[in-house]
Amino acid sequence: MSGPGGTVGRTAPGVAPDPLDTLDAARRAAFTAVAGHLIPAAHGMPSAADVVGDTRLRFVLRARPDLVEPLRAALRVELGDDPAERLLTLERDEPDHHAALVLAVVGGYYTDADVRERLNYPGQEAKTLYSWKVPDFIEEGLTDPVLARGPIWRDPATGRRAARP
Amino acid sequence: MATEPADVLIIGAGATGGVVALRLAEAGFRVVCLEQGDWHDRSEYRGAELDWELTMRKQWATSPNVRDQPQDYPIDETDGEISPLMYSAVGGSMLIFAGAWPRMLPSDFRVRSLDGIADDWPLTYEELRPYYERTDRQFGVSGMGGDPAYPQGGEDPPLPPLPLGAGGLKVARAHTKLGWHWWPEPNSILSVEYDGRHPCVQRGTCQQGCGEGAKASTDLTHWPKAIGLGARLVTGARVRRLETNDAGLVTGAIWRDREGAEHFESARVVILAANAIGTARLLLLSTSASHPDGLANSSGLVGKRLMMHPFANVGGLFDEDLESWQGQFGCSIESFEFYETDERRGFVRGAKWGLAPTFGPINAALPSRAGSLVWGPEHHLHVRAHLGRGANWGLFGEDLPDEANQVVLSPTLTDSSGIPAPELHYRVSENSRRLLDFHIEKASQSLLEAGAYKVEVDQLMRYSGWHLLGTARMGDDPKTSVVDRWNRSHDVPNLYVADGSCFVTSGGVNPTSSIAALALRAADHMVETRFNQQVPV
Repeated sequence: MSGPGGTVGRTAPGVAPDPLDTLDAARRAAFTAVAGHLIPAAHGMPSAADVVGDTRLRFVLRARPDLVEPLRAALRVELGDDPAERLLTLERDEPDHHAALVLAVVGGYYTDADVRERLNYPGQEAKTLYSWKVPDFIEEGLTDPVLARGPIWRDPATGRRAARP
Repeated sequence: MATEPADVLIIGAGATGGVVALRLAEAGFRVVCLEQGDWHDRSEYRGAELDWELTMRKQWATSPNVRDQPQDYPIDETDGEISPLMYSAVGGSMLIFAGAWPRMLPSDFRVRSLDGIADDWPLTYEELRPYYERTDRQFGVSGMGGDPAYPQGGEDPPLPPLPLGAGGLKVARAHTKLGWHWWPEPNSILSVEYDGRHPCVQRGTCQQGCGEGAKASTDLTHWPKAIGLGARLVTGARVRRLETNDAGLVTGAIWRDREGAEHFESARVVILAANAIGTARLLLLSTSASHPDGLANSSGLVGKRLMMHPFANVGGLFDEDLESWQGQFGCSIESFEFYETDERRGFVRGAKWGLAPTFGPINAALPSRAGSLVWGPEHHLHVRAHLGRGANWGLFGEDLPDEANQVVLSPTLTDSSGIPAPELHYRVSENSRRLLDFHIEKASQSLLEAGAYKVEVDQLMRYSGWHLLGTARMGDDPKTSVVDRWNRSHDVPNLYVADGSCFVTSGGVNPTSSIAALALRAADHMVETRFNQQVPV
């Protein structure tokens, strides 16, 4: 089917639709321009224009299908070729569309394995607790002065700090 | 569908629904619960998945208005400075809560007597302490006894404390230098295996569901046991109103299933456990000729005195990598240094501080708490500075009751079943603003002493209404309270409110442990007085 904003892809029965089919070539070009503008290559990190290709953008839109429509609106050709102008206009007039566009760029970029490796970010890992060990803060005596001060709660019976037992 | 009335009908299967269901089922009551949400399988949680920071902003957002799921009800919060947060499911908002489990302090129950403002509770800390201890065991609380912020004696938390993490250790050292209080935070998150559940793996994603089942929620800790004892839990059941008879007793609830079909569940006793917004909404929906302003509302206080704990976040940035995306969320450490009233500060009451993890790279780029957006080449330096190198103090300030802060029924907005939605009116008081300003300054000092080179502040977080309290307050006088000291309606003797609606004042701590303890106390009393309980014929 097609609409005023461009062609929306058809899907065979039983196959999950590809969210990238909702973005025509002009929108994809606008997205890449915005991605490179927000996150350019610098300081040993790659540009989002290079990182957030089909795979990453598809991942974002599959995780967040609610972003498809606001992203389409944010990338419409009427907003021109200048990514900075596009972002300014959206932020001022269409904050929801602006937020969707920025999240799609950032979400695609920071779920990329190479980007995460460069940041030394392994993801949210499962770590084993060793709760039978005496905690470092006890070994270091960090609670000793807290205890030495005595109670700090206010005793309702007196209205003052509780007395030492 | 049972033909006999339930002994007890509970509305809501969250924290308090689970606590009262288990206690009453153990005592042989025939328990039925109506829950508008559903069971969640732990495999649905996204914390271990690559899309975690994407889905936490929509499908696993803490605001029902952001999630916009069919089982949620919308809330008109146009006139509210804080957005209420909650989750509809078996286990309720515990699925998305942090797990911090501090108790209220003795002074919290005597605000009028001590500070000449608000009200006293009709019970004391000492009366509630045995119930805190029992719910600590039920939920599996990790922590360390001896905290001088509380009266000594009684049981310590049943499980050893969770790790402080590198950030927590830095801040604990700083407080030692400053001579300020700190203590390992008690959390309803397992530090060791307990009651058939696995310990925490420090993934730091507690607020989007705990994939390990280490964080307590009643779908794990209470409902399986209650169901094993015969309780019947109906999911996808949205209650539209409570019905009463000519004698002024509640007779049951009208509810709609997912297909929109209407049912009536009759009961001898009804317990509301739907949180301070859902419970107030349901009482206001349950009007009749004999109670045109809503059920149990002769005081006119149903829906009023809503308290939500204005919240500020103070984040410190450090030079070294603290791996601060990991750890319980939940808190690592807490401080009550400035909790008690000191009128020289220009406000009354205080705030508890809790130190929390800092999320992953998407949040470093698009902060949901304190921080800014940086684009262009400097973006990379900004993200490197924030990712894993932060420590966040969350400051919960006491929220004094104000009748103008209230829940009413929306004249226009409805849920997906066509039932009027709640409409919120909530303003942050001048006392709260002064309180937060003071605590922000002190929390900044704490982080700078710990070695932070920069402090970022979120002065008043909008999406921070985790703690919903006060809309059906407890008290001895029916003219000035909705429920009595045992959580029973003054007006309707077989109607109870077990959730945070009953709070008289808010305290300045995460309230779930107090809510659960109060619910258990109410359930105990119901068991003890069961033969005197007035019920419909």
